Amino acid sequence: MRSRFDEQLATLNNELTQMGAMCEEAIAVASKSLTTGDMKLTDKVLSLDGEINRMERTIETLCLKLLLQQQPVARDLRQISAALKMITDMERIGTQAADIAEIITFLDGRTGEECEQIRFMADAASQMVTESIDAFVKQDVILAGAAIDRDDVVDDLFLQVKSSLIKLIAEKPTDGGYALDLLMIAKYFERIGDHAVNIAEWVVFSVTGEHKGAGL
Amino acid sequence: MTKKVFKSIMIVAGTVLIASLVIIMGCLYRYFSDVQVKQLEDEISLAAVAVEKNGQEYLEGLQSRGYRLTWVAENGDVIYDTQSDEESMENHADREEIQQALHSKEGKSLRYSTTLLEKTFYCARRLNDGSVLRISVSSVTVWVLVLGMIQPILIVIVVALILSGVLASRISKHIMEPLNSLDLEKPLENDTYEELAPLLNRINKQHRQIDMQLSELQRKNDEFAQITHGMTEGLVLLNENNVILNINPAALELFHTSHSCKGKDFLTVERSHDVSHAIQDAFSNGHSEIRMEREGKEYQLHINRIESNDAVIGAVVFAFDITEAAFAERNRREFTANVSHELKTPLQSIMGSAELMENGLVKSEDMARFVGHIRTEAGRLVTLIDDIIRLSQLDEGCDMPFEDVDLYEAATDVTAGLVDIAAAKDVEIIVTGGTVKIKSVRRLLTEIIFNLCDNAIKYNKDSGTVEVSINRQGNFAVISVKDSGIGIPPEHQARIFERFYRVDKSRSKESGGTGLGLSIVKHAVQYLNGKINLQSSPGEGTTIQIFLQENMNDAMQVS
Repeated sequence: MRSRFDEQLATLNNELTQMGAMCEEAIAVASKSLTTGDMKLTDKVLSLDGEINRMERTIETLCLKLLLQQQPVARDLRQISAALKMITDMERIGTQAADIAEIITFLDGRTGEECEQIRFMADAASQMVTESIDAFVKQDVILAGAAIDRDDVVDDLFLQVKSSLIKLIAEKPTDGGYALDLLMIAKYFERIGDHAVNIAEWVVFSVTGEHKGAGL
Repeated sequence: MTKKVFKSIMIVAGTVLIASLVIIMGCLYRYFSDVQVKQLEDEISLAAVAVEKNGQEYLEGLQSRGYRLTWVAENGDVIYDTQSDEESMENHADREEIQQALHSKEGKSLRYSTTLLEKTFYCARRLNDGSVLRISVSSVTVWVLVLGMIQPILIVIVVALILSGVLASRISKHIMEPLNSLDLEKPLENDTYEELAPLLNRINKQHRQIDMQLSELQRKNDEFAQITHGMTEGLVLLNENNVILNINPAALELFHTSHSCKGKDFLTVERSHDVSHAIQDAFSNGHSEIRMEREGKEYQLHINRIESNDAVIGAVVFAFDITEAAFAERNRREFTANVSHELKTPLQSIMGSAELMENGLVKSEDMARFVGHIRTEAGRLVTLIDDIIRLSQLDEGCDMPFEDVDLYEAATDVTAGLVDIAAAKDVEIIVTGGTVKIKSVRRLLTEIIFNLCDNAIKYNKDSGTVEVSINRQGNFAVISVKDSGIGIPPEHQARIFERFYRVDKSRSKESGGTGLGLSIVKHAVQYLNGKINLQSSPGEGTTIQIFLQENMNDAMQVS
């Protein structure tokens, strides 16, 4: 009975890792699509988003089944409840990557060259997701901390993007719509960063039992 | 063990006790009974004689000595009894011994008391007057005897119990102690009883077998580790649950992980969607391949399923670094595309001119110009094809004769041929240095110097200079071509030796080069085992140095 439970936990871990990998890919492809202006890539992001949503359902079912049938306690319970929380964030990351891809199709192949910081943002957000998934895979609290700290960088970059876009609109009012689209993209990257932080925090919880520095 | 020994000792002791009891009791009791019977018979014959002589007087005068004498009349009435009052006794005619005696002078019988505790032996004799004299003696039965012996028997049994308990524990201790203290590592060095020798021999044999198998296993393991350790290709062994069993250093580096990943799921080291998909594919189809990029390097992963007895037991992941192969492949593709393009351009031009002439659209006074055009283009084509042939010769590495060559002389010869072209661009070309003789291939050296100088003139500024210097540096002969030209931007410096590579693609037509010059230089220098050194800064000029081994034979030995 117990070994079956361990098996199911391992499956849960694997599925979560896979879902995380998909999120990483979705955001990486989305930022690549932004920087290269390659419209074909946006389709890939959308299909990844669909897959991520399906994965969320599967993992959710598995988690609930585990909770009901095995009635886990202590560390196992933390792991499963953290998984339940993490998939929500991962799903949001997938959806937001898809949103970014959708906006990119409105850019008419422009790549945001006017605003360099948005590329840094894309890289930083992408790295945050990678770090938080890495932290989950390795159950590494330090790595999770690194991901959480990087959020400040992304937030700063967002402010910079905002001010440089204000400048862009002032200089070239005809590019107003374009600038707003870029702002939306930047906002989504910023949100993705926040979700990555959430994931990292749940990783810390599942390892140490403390969420945001307090026991739950 | 103690229990078993105790039990067997008890069984033996019990059996012996019972058997001896039965035998002794049986024999002795019978013997004593017989003796009694004999005595009784003697006694009765004496008594009979006495009674016949003295009658009742004898009986009355007789002191009972354990016997009981009874005188019975012929009709069975008791005439006298030594122990009871004869009046009260019943008729004895139906008694077995009396009947026998009446019939045949003598009679015997044995009767047990109702409780079986006593038996009485009777002996009767007919006297001459027809009456019967009977004598009887009572004795306890064998059971009473046994009952009487119960106490000593019980004592014996208790003693036996205690004794066998002590003995059993001592014996089993004796048996077990050497067994427990056996040194199984060195079975033959034990000092024990001889019955253990076969066991110890067997253990010793098995020890040797295990040792052999272990060392064999260790050797195989080492071999495997050695092989996988030295491999530049990454190798990962997975079990059927996708868990890493073994991973070699190259793979550790590739996947940025440490040995601690052994025993974990492969997803933890590489979670990319494509790769996990490929692995699943390999598990279901037996084989899959996938390309993946890591830090600017390209890798090809081959994943094969491992089967044993029709069951999937795992998979092996092989990772090759195909960066160079992919680069070479791209180069080849580019080369083919470039060659066809470069060959086609002059041909198109020739065809265009020829068509115009064919249709009579060319005025006779322009004819010479058109024919000249066709000739130049054809010339270009020939040069191009010559270059390609030379390159492919160098690629093939066909043998070329080595001879003594004076580099200075070769350089002056080449520059002399280029003076006209240099003059046309107002470029001054000079040769400095002194005679340096080496053993080399003259044709290749001429080719190298020509191509370098040609480029130096072509990509020079107006009224610039080209300096060819020949000298020695240590063991090397150095050809240095320095120009005051436009220079090469750093991002292009790594690629200018590629075939058909041009820094400024728009100028190719104008300068008239084939784009193969430096490629030929590179291959020629490689053939001569030399080295190329490039220093260039845009706007200031370029210096290309060729280092050649002075003595080709040394170079051969070195390489």
